[in-house]
Amino acid sequence: MRVQSAFIAVVLFFLAVLAFFCVFAPNFATASNFEDLMAGFSFIAILAIGESFPILLRGIDLSVGATLALAGMVAFDLTLMFDVPGYVAIPITLAVATLCGAVNGALIVKLRLQPFIATLSTLAAYRGLVYAISGRQLVPELSTTPLSDPWIMGLDTYFDIGSATGLSSLIELPWVPLSFFIMIATLVVFGVMLGRTRFGRDIYTVGGNAEAARLAGINVGRTIIIAYAICGFCAGLGALLMIARLSTTTESLGMGMEMSAIAAAVIGGVSLSGGIGGLAGPVIGTFLLGMVLIGLTLLGISQFVQQILTGVILLIAVGHDRFLAVRRQKRLAANLAEEA
Amino acid sequence: MPAAANVNASAAQLLDAHGLTKVYGNLVALDHADFRVMPGEVRALIGSNGAGKSTLIKVLTGAIMPTSGSVTLDGAELPLGRPEEMIRHGIGCIYQHSNMAPALSVLDNIFLGRQPTRRFGLVDVKAQRREAEELLKRYCIDLDLDATVGELPTVKQKEVEIVKALALDAKVLLMDEPTGWLAASDVRRLHDTIRLLKSRGVGIVYISHMLDEIFTVCDTMTIMRDGRVIAEADVADMTRAKVIELMVGDRLARESSAAAGEARHPRGNGEIRLSVKGLSRRGMFRDVSFDLYGGEILCITGLIGSKRTELMHAIFGSEPRDAGTVEIDGKPVDFRAPGDAMACGVGFVPEDRHRDGLMLGMTVTENLVMTTLDRFRRLFLLDRRGIEAASRRSIDDLSVKPADGRKLVRQLSGGNQQKVLVGKWLRLGPKVIILDEPTVGVDVGAKAEIYSILRAERDRGAAVLVVSSDLEEVMTVADRIGIMVSGRLRSIHDTTDMSMAQVVAEIGAE
Repeated sequence: MRVQSAFIAVVLFFLAVLAFFCVFAPNFATASNFEDLMAGFSFIAILAIGESFPILLRGIDLSVGATLALAGMVAFDLTLMFDVPGYVAIPITLAVATLCGAVNGALIVKLRLQPFIATLSTLAAYRGLVYAISGRQLVPELSTTPLSDPWIMGLDTYFDIGSATGLSSLIELPWVPLSFFIMIATLVVFGVMLGRTRFGRDIYTVGGNAEAARLAGINVGRTIIIAYAICGFCAGLGALLMIARLSTTTESLGMGMEMSAIAAAVIGGVSLSGGIGGLAGPVIGTFLLGMVLIGLTLLGISQFVQQILTGVILLIAVGHDRFLAVRRQKRLAANLAEEA
Repeated sequence: MPAAANVNASAAQLLDAHGLTKVYGNLVALDHADFRVMPGEVRALIGSNGAGKSTLIKVLTGAIMPTSGSVTLDGAELPLGRPEEMIRHGIGCIYQHSNMAPALSVLDNIFLGRQPTRRFGLVDVKAQRREAEELLKRYCIDLDLDATVGELPTVKQKEVEIVKALALDAKVLLMDEPTGWLAASDVRRLHDTIRLLKSRGVGIVYISHMLDEIFTVCDTMTIMRDGRVIAEADVADMTRAKVIELMVGDRLARESSAAAGEARHPRGNGEIRLSVKGLSRRGMFRDVSFDLYGGEILCITGLIGSKRTELMHAIFGSEPRDAGTVEIDGKPVDFRAPGDAMACGVGFVPEDRHRDGLMLGMTVTENLVMTTLDRFRRLFLLDRRGIEAASRRSIDDLSVKPADGRKLVRQLSGGNQQKVLVGKWLRLGPKVIILDEPTVGVDVGAKAEIYSILRAERDRGAAVLVVSSDLEEVMTVADRIGIMVSGRLRSIHDTTDMSMAQVVAEIGAE
């Protein structure tokens, strides 16, 4: 796979920010801090991986936060209201989230809706559905009952890498949360899918030029639906990790989280003009955002300033993306003028 | 007022462009072109693709800066390369594709971006309306100022654009393919409007590939070829055949050399590969039937707008058809999508390689294997080594330069991009391959290479169907020639039975 200049840029920026906080932020370079970072942002990285698929198709999925809440509530209802064991509840939860994504794709393909409009509508619809099926409302006493299913709660496990490898005698290492390994597994599976399968090629082709893709015999509609379904699946996975960590769920779970996912994907070099980008970038983009948030807190900078800075980072990333796109277009125009 | 017959007359010229030259790198797009328009004259600007028409228009609208030359309007020299100055001095342009805000009213569109204002920057609606009504009355155009532009029929939208230009005191109106999207009755309506403008002294430049329209509405014509103005004449003195001959030019003389020396294989190996019967699509093409044999090259030629591209899309299944059947090897097929056609061994190289053909931001290798990726699938993963080897073979076969599969297609020259596009389909090993204008924007060397690729495909036994407007190309590669006129396949001839002059006569025939 080609390494994009935007990806290199985000890696360098990541390292620079890391170095900055390690030097200037008190208690930043500690094992427990990195543990927090991994536990707090791995599931957002999974959302960003999912969100990359629609964006690669020049689309967007605004409904991931709502999908996440719906998946979380489905898992909550199944285990607490119906006493369904986790090994059944988890696949059902993931299937519901995948279906939510596929519905987004189907709306875009069959009704020819703009992805923005389609997923804005489902954002509202899915969130409404969460309230409708909420076990916390239907059975009020459940709202104070924590999740206890061993399969789901097992997702909130930490591994003591340091003592397992014997390195802890030399250096203090963070305990790595299972969610981090699940995130890495997701990255590998979907990364291979994107880089090394027919379907992955089709994603880049459709995102780069949908009409040319159609004329090359690619089933554009199916590609779009599967891509949104993957985005939904990732939201479902994120929901399971999140409710395991909270040991409950709420109706407003994941509210606004689509913004973090989109921001991380774009910061990670997935171009909003489609067809360009990979999945490692969004993961790094997520931890970059996470690092900035935690680092600024440790520096004692207020929440509001943090949000402003997050916005500025996003602006820089999007501006950089547009800058590259405009430069590409100018070069193309120059080539055309030469031969015309 | 009839147009002046003699273009050299020093009588009040409205627009006078002199010695316009535009050079891109080492390519001369416009070569000392002189262009004049008199008041009340409708002048056709004619030429095949790449003749320099659009470059000339872009200079006149200020979109590009010419390398040299001058433009005067009413005797005053205009500053070039500045669109707002050209508009201010009175050169208006009606573009092929609409340039309006569809959600706003007719009135708002007419004054888009330059609303007369009163104190506090409020829009002076009354003044607007007064001015617009006056214009409509003066030019006898009937428009509802409060209608929403997006809801108007296309011809009315064109009228709004005309009024918009007139509101800016346009003395010269450039119309680029103004009838491209109009039905026949609407074309007549638009022509009536043009005649009215003409009687009010507006000079009109009418750019069109539709010879019918030019002979109906224009007074004079300027014919361009290879960046030069090669003829100026009164429409009354010209015939269709003469116009096409001038557009095609000295290619007529080169005909014998181009056509000679190549063996022709009409009806190839005698096996019908593709049979089209009674294919129709409303408003596009009607009742098209032909057989295409294995081992032959059939070229379909005709004027731009004769709906050849739409016909090819209908055969390939990428655009709909209303009636008719398509058979492959004697078996009826119903292609609903390009994938169906490909499964039957039909390939299609579309006309616009940037819009429909290539992934410019992807590598040569990725583009080449796009149609055949399934062959490289091992379980779920793609066999990268196999893909690279296949790509190297194709690059060698087609002599793509630079011979590097990792290059982005965007970085290649037009000729090499086209080779990649053709190669992508040849990798499929098609029984039937359709190519739409396979050598547009390609240099002479690459043209020759593409022709030899086509001949090699034919000799392999493939049935090759080429759509081309370039008559020299048709005479060079075709085994048989089909001629399409206004959505109908007029006739098919063996190339050996035809001279280029005969083809020209048939293309121009009514």
